[in-house]
Amino acid sequence: MSWWPIGANAQRRRVQRSVSEGPLRDYLDVPVPANDTPAEQLPLLAVDLETTGLSARTDRILSVGFVPVDGNVINLSGARHIVVRSQGEVGQSAAVHGLTDDAVAAGVPLAEALAQLLAALRGRVLLAHYATIEQEFLSAACRAVYGHPLPVRVVDTLELQRRLTTTAWDDPRAGSLRLGAARAAHGLPRYRAHEALTDALSCAELWLAQSIALSERGQGRLGQLAR
Amino acid sequence: MDDELAEIADFLAAHPPFSELPEQSLQALPRELTVRYYRRGSVLATPADEVKHLSIVRAGAVDVHDAAGALVERVDVGGSFGVTGLVQPPPYGFSVTALEDTLILELPASSFHRLVESSAAFSSYFLLQQAHRLHAAVQSVAVSDSGTAVLKTRLRDMVTRPPVAIGPQASVQEAAQLMRSERISSLLVQDPQVVGIVTDRDLRNRVLADGLPPSTPVAQIMTPNPTTADADTLAFELLLSMLARGIHHVPVTDGQDLLGIITSTDLVRLEQSNPLYVVQDISRQNQPEDIALATARLPDLVERLVAQDASAEDIGRVVTAVADAVQRRLLILAEEKLGPPPVPYCWVALGSQGRREQALGADQDHALILSDDVTREHDAYFADLAGFVRDGLVTCGYPPCPGDVMATTPRWRQPLATWRRQFGEWISEPTPDAVLAATIFFDMRAVAGELELCTRLRTGVLAMTPNAKIFLAHLAKQAVEHAPPIGMFRGLVLEKEGEHKSTLDLKHRGVGPVVDLARVAALAAGLPQVGTQARLDAVAAAGGMSAAATADLKDALEFIAYVRLRHQARQVRERGIPDNFVSPEELSSFEKRHLRDAFGVVRTAQGVLAGRHPLGYIS
Repeated sequence: MSWWPIGANAQRRRVQRSVSEGPLRDYLDVPVPANDTPAEQLPLLAVDLETTGLSARTDRILSVGFVPVDGNVINLSGARHIVVRSQGEVGQSAAVHGLTDDAVAAGVPLAEALAQLLAALRGRVLLAHYATIEQEFLSAACRAVYGHPLPVRVVDTLELQRRLTTTAWDDPRAGSLRLGAARAAHGLPRYRAHEALTDALSCAELWLAQSIALSERGQGRLGQLAR
Repeated sequence: MDDELAEIADFLAAHPPFSELPEQSLQALPRELTVRYYRRGSVLATPADEVKHLSIVRAGAVDVHDAAGALVERVDVGGSFGVTGLVQPPPYGFSVTALEDTLILELPASSFHRLVESSAAFSSYFLLQQAHRLHAAVQSVAVSDSGTAVLKTRLRDMVTRPPVAIGPQASVQEAAQLMRSERISSLLVQDPQVVGIVTDRDLRNRVLADGLPPSTPVAQIMTPNPTTADADTLAFELLLSMLARGIHHVPVTDGQDLLGIITSTDLVRLEQSNPLYVVQDISRQNQPEDIALATARLPDLVERLVAQDASAEDIGRVVTAVADAVQRRLLILAEEKLGPPPVPYCWVALGSQGRREQALGADQDHALILSDDVTREHDAYFADLAGFVRDGLVTCGYPPCPGDVMATTPRWRQPLATWRRQFGEWISEPTPDAVLAATIFFDMRAVAGELELCTRLRTGVLAMTPNAKIFLAHLAKQAVEHAPPIGMFRGLVLEKEGEHKSTLDLKHRGVGPVVDLARVAALAAGLPQVGTQARLDAVAAAGGMSAAATADLKDALEFIAYVRLRHQARQVRERGIPDNFVSPEELSSFEKRHLRDAFGVVRTAQGVLAGRHPLGYIS
């Protein structure tokens, strides 16, 4: 994330100045929450992408799932699952996410999926488990569609879980930071993985549990939670 | 776009009452929910709260305590709480604490009310939950001897029949046929030990819905290794565990023996037949006017019981228990005012109250049996006592008997010996009019005072009636006099004239003939039972009537009485005075068809009775 060192807001302002009217501009026009916003008042959007692979340069987004979280409440009425139409073949990745070429052919164009996501993301912090994937793919998609990267505040539940399980003596055990294992550690039920909306909901529920635990440790403000 | 929240929908589909919702509404429901998480030990609700959601436990568990701090319920995965707060005005009155880390799905009040309106299964589930919650709350404040039936009754005392079982290789069709002929909603599967249970619901959900053939072996669709309960378990403990597990049928065991099956309906019935609250209230009042405030709730109580599908028999017992309580309380107040009785007495209820079949709006029918030690000077005391009770009953909404069959009438306030002579006269030297007037005295039950006086009188009477052929013939004639309202082609025949033209008189042409039939049959066999259902059972047990005919007649009575109750409950709801005249427009075609069948059963039974007590030689 080459732009990150110059500061989220600086980058946001730079893109805002140069981007023309449209979904990205509308998104940027709504300010993000301040760094001292407490977790229980923080507006977030839990997002999960299913992709053809792990490289934002060569792989494509197949589906987008998201659900809004207002502090400590998940609003399922705002939940969306959008399949993205794409030219290439799904290939072997279908074994992971279950989206067939037919399903993908019936989806919406990437620009439209992106517009819906950006509308939902207005004024919110992006929430994801191992958010690098979501951040990189969305930024690449924004470059492709709008010619600019996506400036966004991010809270990563994998990072938060690492923080909660790392002690002075021990690193987290291998695998314990995965979404399913992290959820189990907080008494959350087991969900099927690799369906974008279910994974977004999984991540949102994990956030509810983590944010309470972190608030109890005095780490409950956006500035302490976001990366 | 496909916004299905599959994990949430699947979860709801696995837990009652959501599992009872139609697929379409189940799939749409998750979008109406919000999700919250609570750490162990945190507080989810306090008694002062206003409840805005039904909370469904998705993971973890919570404890519900009442305002006094008593544990009311522990709710775990799939269970829900907050119903009290949704159906009653705030404050909530309960506190809810997370026992473990807990994930909650919240269903908004508006969605909850919409589902209650649209789904009978959904609403009845929460009614049951409500009933339980209320009683648990009562338990925590009640003194030990005033607990409700569900809190005191053990399963051993609730099992009414041995279980019916079928082999695992039997087909589901054979199972369904057995359930139909036995009139039961579940079957045990034995091989030879109990290996499973099959319920009505399984036949629907696992056979019909999955399109399995009638030849499918029972073993394939049964619930294996069903949860059982020990015979000494309290009814409310079973209710709790049935709610928690979402099951409706539980086999009851006593060591190695299997006693029978208890259904959730059995548990609801246990509660509904318990008029504890009204009765308790009555027993605390010190003025007839205050008792009247309690009895004024009776129509609402009946309406609610009808809405909950309690049986007509159970509702009759509830209404009677209230009348009994009023009379007992008035007698205590009378004795406080007049001083202790100079000689022992027994206050007896007659007619429908005697049979425990009282309906709303019933007249007073009572009498006094005095000890044979009574003297002429004592009569003024008992006249005053009877007058106080009669006036008090009028205040409480029980109109005086138009025929003066009340303890205020000197003839119905007599020493035991005089009563014996009176019954002897009715039985040995019957005249049609005298027998007609006297029938309600044969439905006599002690309510208060020296109960032994009533027992002694009735024992003597029952020794005489089996041999009193002419008396029985008069009673039988009376029982067949009112023909059920069905015509030649089994259409319903409406009243042809009078105030109630074009209605069905369900009392005189439906319930009444069955009551009369049961009375004749019981008196002919010298049986002590007073209630109609009890009389029919006893007559069948004594061989006086076939089991099938008895079952048919009981069903017919229950159905006619049920239609009458529904009609009366509707009148009460519309602030009218309950009566027995149902107009055909009130009835569905289903009800009309069943009423015709029920009347047909009554007419057949009348024919049998007429043959048994030849009427020719007295008319």
